[in-house]
Amino acid sequence: MTAIIPNVIAMKGEFIQATWETIYMTLMSAIVSAVLGLLVGVLLVVTQPGGILEDKLTYSVVDKLVNLLRSIPFIILLAVISPLTKFLIGTTVGTTASLVPLIFGIFPFYARQIQNALLDVDHGVIEAAESMGSSPLEIIFRIYLREGLADILRVSIVTVISLIGLTTMAGAIGSGGLGDVAINIGYARFENDITFTAMIIILVLVFAVQLFGDWVVRRVEHQ
Amino acid sequence: MSETVTNAIELNNISVNFQNHDQEIDAVKNVDLQIKRGDIYGIIGYSGAGKSTLVRVINLLQQPTQGSVIVNNQEILKLKPVELRQARKKVSMIFQHFNLMKSRTVQGNVEYPLLGTKISKADRQAKAEKLLRLVGLSEYAGTYPSQLSGGQKQRVAIARALASDPEILISDEATSALDPKTTKSILELLKQLNRDLDLTIVLITHEMQVIKSICHNVAVMDAGEIIERGPVAKVFTEPQQKLTTDFVETSTNVKEAIERITSTIKISEFKDNQELMYFNFIGNSTKQGVVSEFSQKYGIDVNILFANIDQIDGENVGYMIAVITGDLAVFNAAIQRLSSEGVKTRILTNDVLEGGAA
Ligand SMILES: Nc1ncnc2c1ncn2[C@@H]1O[C@H](COP(=O)(O)OP(=O)(O)OP(=O)(O)O)[C@@H](O)[C@H]1O
Ligand SMILES: [Mg+2]
Repeated sequence: MTAIIPNVIAMKGEFIQATWETIYMTLMSAIVSAVLGLLVGVLLVVTQPGGILEDKLTYSVVDKLVNLLRSIPFIILLAVISPLTKFLIGTTVGTTASLVPLIFGIFPFYARQIQNALLDVDHGVIEAAESMGSSPLEIIFRIYLREGLADILRVSIVTVISLIGLTTMAGAIGSGGLGDVAINIGYARFENDITFTAMIIILVLVFAVQLFGDWVVRRVEHQ
Repeated sequence: MSETVTNAIELNNISVNFQNHDQEIDAVKNVDLQIKRGDIYGIIGYSGAGKSTLVRVINLLQQPTQGSVIVNNQEILKLKPVELRQARKKVSMIFQHFNLMKSRTVQGNVEYPLLGTKISKADRQAKAEKLLRLVGLSEYAGTYPSQLSGGQKQRVAIARALASDPEILISDEATSALDPKTTKSILELLKQLNRDLDLTIVLITHEMQVIKSICHNVAVMDAGEIIERGPVAKVFTEPQQKLTTDFVETSTNVKEAIERITSTIKISEFKDNQELMYFNFIGNSTKQGVVSEFSQKYGIDVNILFANIDQIDGENVGYMIAVITGDLAVFNAAIQRLSSEGVKTRILTNDVLEGGAA
């Protein structure tokens, strides 16, 4: 073992620590982004032309904002958002500070995915619910979020996997986690076994998310 | 004021305009419609005639551009959102594509209209079970809609529609996706609900067959307007408009027969003493009687190419297409006599020749 991955063995503790940091960053930013993304995604669907709470102004403002945020490359966002991060967290380095750019990097993406998932909910069913006297709030919770649940879970998996990717980019500029280890130690010191091992751990995390997600989707689907 | 009491639905001067990009579509134009409590009222028309738009005004799924809507004696357009939602529970709807929730079981779908009401969970379940028994699907309570046939799905949709104890049921092409046998059983179920629950039914279709088998009254819609209306038996036997005639002849296979006949025989080669005739018998006059009378009394030869018989409102209605050969003067006199006996006739020869030239 020491012959193949000498540097990894020497840094076992750091690897375990970095893995937990990656999981922490992913989980925390996923939770906040889920709330924001769901809110914005639902808002887009209900206010769009022909939606149950049609509102042209709200729709076009939110729609453009989401597009704008999605257009900023993450690596630039990391730098641009640092004043806000400093204001909110008090510092711009470390895992907790990285949550701010991670959330802003992922929630507009997630909102768009949620919007698309909810648009797939059969319009006829929405109309049936309206004809049965359901209120807009009832339609959101009893129809949109429920009928669209399998698709919502599907896009959530995709989002979490993208998020794991973003944490490594945040890592490159010093937020900690496996990206940090891979770039700032493995790559910088030409210790290829470290970079490689970090990659393997990330792949394992991605597969775990995918498998778990697929299992959950299968359980809720009745088509 | 006694008028409003017997009418379940009153649409007064309803218009609906859509603004599609830069062109304006008048989907419904100045329509007045009264539907009596307990009636089964059919609305027939081709695709795009504005049928769905019109009935969606009844529960305000579609806001009319102009006009007033009175449903169950309530002026719907004046209701607050909460009151409107309450009123909608008394006007249920079933659709061509069923619109069931795929994430809920059959039982869950039927319970849906009762969620968020004061009814307890146990009562809700009991009611759904009762309704599923009514539509004959008790053993499917725990199944998901995707595992049901079209007819079964529509039965679930009907059970769901009944859960809120509606007074009016709107059916928008509810049988259009079903085969003839299933269509028949769904229509029987609707008829039974009309009878047993005193449910007022508004039924949209593009098939006269459907109107014929269950409706008491019918309105014919074309390009946003009601062009003809009245009791089904009357509209059926005395259609006033070309479009109505079209629907009637399609449902009796007469239209198809005319097309088949004119494509197989050459009308242009008819002799001067020959005509292609259409006969419509109502009530007691029968085809045998006419044929024998024509040949024996007037010496006219009748060659039957098509004949069919139908029942509308318990009366026999017959249709016949035949080539007539004989003295035209005698023939005219014979036709005069027939029409006094309630037989309707139409000379198809000229229709066909004109139609062929166009
Ligand atoms: N929401 C809408 N926006 C714009 N135009 C519409 C809308 N709904 C209907 N229309 C138009 O109004 C006209 C009538 O449509 P409607 O759906 O009422 O017809 P229909 O008689 O129900 O036809 P079908 O048998 O195909 O269901 C059509 O020209 C249609 O394109
Ligand atoms: Mg329609």
